[in-house]
Amino acid sequence: MASSATTGNPMPPSLSMPPSQFARLQPHAYLRAHLSPPSSDQPSVRANGRATSQFRVTSVNTGSLTHANGSAVVRIGDTTAVCGVRAELLHTSDISSWGVSQAPSKQNPTNTNEAKDSKSEDEDDQGQIQDLNLLVPNLSLSTGCAPGLTPGAPPSALAQSLSHQILSLLHTTNLVRADDLRIWYQPPNFDSEEFHNPGEGMEVDTEQSGGPEREIKAFWVLYIDIMILSMAGNAFDAAWASVLAALRDTKLPNAWWDDDNETILCSDDFAEAHRLTLRGLPIASSFCCFEGDAAAGWRANVIPDAEEQKKKKGSQQKWILADPDGYEEGLTQERACVVVDKENGKTIIVKMEKHGGWNVDSDDLRKLVDVSSQRWDDLKQALEQC
Amino acid sequence: MADRRRINGPPAGTRPPVYASLKESKTGVSERTLRQRQPTELRKFYLKTGMIPTASGSSYLEFAPSAALAAARSNPKSLIPPSSALKVACTVHGPKPLPRSVPFSPNLLLTTHVKFAPFAARKRKGHVRDTTERDLGVHLETALRGAIIAERWPKSGLDITLTIVEAEDDRWWGDAPDSHDASWGMLNVLAGCITAASAAIADAHIDCLDLVSGGVAALVSDDASTAPRLVLDVDPAEHRSIQSACVVAYMPARDEITELWLKGDSSRAALEKSDGRTGHEALIDGAVDAARGANTILTDAVRESIARSFAQV
Repeated sequence: MASSATTGNPMPPSLSMPPSQFARLQPHAYLRAHLSPPSSDQPSVRANGRATSQFRVTSVNTGSLTHANGSAVVRIGDTTAVCGVRAELLHTSDISSWGVSQAPSKQNPTNTNEAKDSKSEDEDDQGQIQDLNLLVPNLSLSTGCAPGLTPGAPPSALAQSLSHQILSLLHTTNLVRADDLRIWYQPPNFDSEEFHNPGEGMEVDTEQSGGPEREIKAFWVLYIDIMILSMAGNAFDAAWASVLAALRDTKLPNAWWDDDNETILCSDDFAEAHRLTLRGLPIASSFCCFEGDAAAGWRANVIPDAEEQKKKKGSQQKWILADPDGYEEGLTQERACVVVDKENGKTIIVKMEKHGGWNVDSDDLRKLVDVSSQRWDDLKQALEQC
Repeated sequence: MADRRRINGPPAGTRPPVYASLKESKTGVSERTLRQRQPTELRKFYLKTGMIPTASGSSYLEFAPSAALAAARSNPKSLIPPSSALKVACTVHGPKPLPRSVPFSPNLLLTTHVKFAPFAARKRKGHVRDTTERDLGVHLETALRGAIIAERWPKSGLDITLTIVEAEDDRWWGDAPDSHDASWGMLNVLAGCITAASAAIADAHIDCLDLVSGGVAALVSDDASTAPRLVLDVDPAEHRSIQSACVVAYMPARDEITELWLKGDSSRAALEKSDGRTGHEALIDGAVDAARGANTILTDAVRESIARSFAQV
C-alpha cells in the first residue's frame, strides 16, 4: 500500500517555497537577501518595500474622543496609539509640603509681570512640574495589541519602560509650561479699602501698597493615558507623536478660586478655555541596525587586536533601518532613538539614545540626525493638518 | 498603596473639575436633548474588521454620535459633552495551544477581557480592571460561548480582548442619581461588545453556529404622568428616567438567545390593548428586534472580511 502510494505520485516534492514561509523559517537570511542589492549602484530595499531611511505612512487625528480634554489617534503604518489627556485639579492645600518648600519670591506677582530671562523661568517650571507630579503619563500595552502580551496582566517591562521614557522626555524638553497649569488667586485687599476711598484707584492701591500677595491656589494635573491598540514595531515613536498631538489639542477650562465655597470653580464656556502653549515640537525617530553577520561582533570582541577589528568592522555589512516594523525589530539588537526639534531652521538635538551594539558610529549618528530632521518636517506637516 | 509599576499622580490625589452654576451659563448645556429617533429606529454604527493586523482577528465598532453631540463637535460651545458615543476595539488571539500547566480540555477555552480606557467615561477610570469590567467580561463570555463550536479545538485557548475607548453614559450628565438608577450604559456597552467580538471571531476564521449580535431595548418614561413606553436602542442620556432595560445576544438563523440581561421593573409597560404580552416579554422582543437590526451591519462587515482574505490568497 505504502509503495503504491509513493509510486502513484508522479510529481517530485517541490524544493521551492513561498516567500512568506522563507521569511518565517530563515528570517535573518530573508531580510539580508532583501537588503543586499543585486548590483552595487542600486539602493537596498527592505522586505516591506521601503528604502532604508524611509518611514511608514503616518496619519494623525485629533479631538475625536468626547470625554478627554485633548485626544489624538496616531497611526504609523500598522502601529496605532490612542492618547487621551484628562485634566484634574490639585489644590495647594492638599500638598503637604506646600508653603514650606515654596519660596516667596516665586509667588511674587511683580516678578511674574516683569520681563525676566527665560532661563530662570524654565528652571522654575521644571522644578514644580517634576516635584508635584503634574504630568502623569501611562502607557498600556494590555489591549491585545500583540500576541505575546497577555491582557489583564500588570504592565510588562516594555510598557513600564515606555511610560518612563515618555515621562522623562516630557520633563527634559520642558514641553508644558508650568504657568499654564497654575491657577492664581488675588485676595481682596481689605486694609486699603478701609483707609482709602473704595470708589476710585483701588486697583492701583492694591498694587502699590503691596497688600496680600497673589497666590497659587491649585494646579492642573494632566493625566496622559496612551493605549497602544495595534503594535507592529516602533511603539515609542507612535506613542510620543500621540502625546504631542493630544497636548496640542488640549483645552483647559477657565478656572478660579471661589472664596465663598472655598473651592476651585470652572467655566464650561468653550470660548473661555485656553490651550496649552507648548515649548517647541520635539519629534522622535527610532532606528535599528541590522547586521549582515550577526556573530561578527562577538568574534571581534575576543581578539584584542584593534587593527584587525577595524578591518573586520569595515567588511561587516550593516544597514540602519528607520522606523522598524515588528519583523525587523525581532531581528536586530542595536537600537537608536533621536529626538530633534527645529528652531528657525536650525536642528536641535533634544535626546539621543543608542544601545545594543557598536555598529552605529558617530558618522552614522550624524546621518541619523539629518534623517530625523527630515522626519521632523514630515511629521510637523501631519500634525498641523489635523 | 501606590501602584509601583505605573506612574502615579500626586500622592494626595486630585479632584475632578467642578463647573460653576450652569443655570446662568450662556452655552446652553443645561438643556437636555430628547430622543429625535422613532421608538423603533436604531442608531447607525460603523463596524470594520481587520484593523489590527497583528491579531488573528480584530474589529472596531463606533456608534454614530447623536445629533446633539455632532452639533457640539462641529461647533463647540461648552466643554461638557451632551452625550457620548460608544467606541470599541476588539482583538482575537488564537486558537492557540494551551500552556502545559492548564489541565486537559476537550473544548476551546474562551477568555474575555473587557477594559475601559482611563478616558472612556466622564469619571476617570483606573488602569486596573474593576468589578464592572470583570462582570462585563463574564456576560460577554456567556454570550459568545453559545455561538462558538468549541469542540472543534480541543486543548486550545482563545483570547478575546475588548478595549472600550469611549463608553456610553448611564444617565444624562445633569441628573442626580435617583431610585430608578442603575448603570444603564453598561447594557449598551455589552451589546456593542457582543457585536464587535462576533465580527472579530469571524475575522479570525473560527467556526460559529451563527453570527451573534447584541441588542438593547428599554422602558422609558419621559414624564411622570404616562406609563413607560418601549424604545429600541436606548441612549440613556436622552431620557428622563429608564424603568427597565434588557440586552440580548441573539443568533437570527437559529432564533436563539445566548445571553439575556434584564434590569429594573418591567411591570408597568404601556402596551397596546390588543397586545397580550407582559412587560418583560415585550422588552425581550424589542431587544431581539434591535439585535436583528445590528446583525445586518455585522453580516456586511464579515462579508468584507471574507472578501479581503480571499483577495490575499
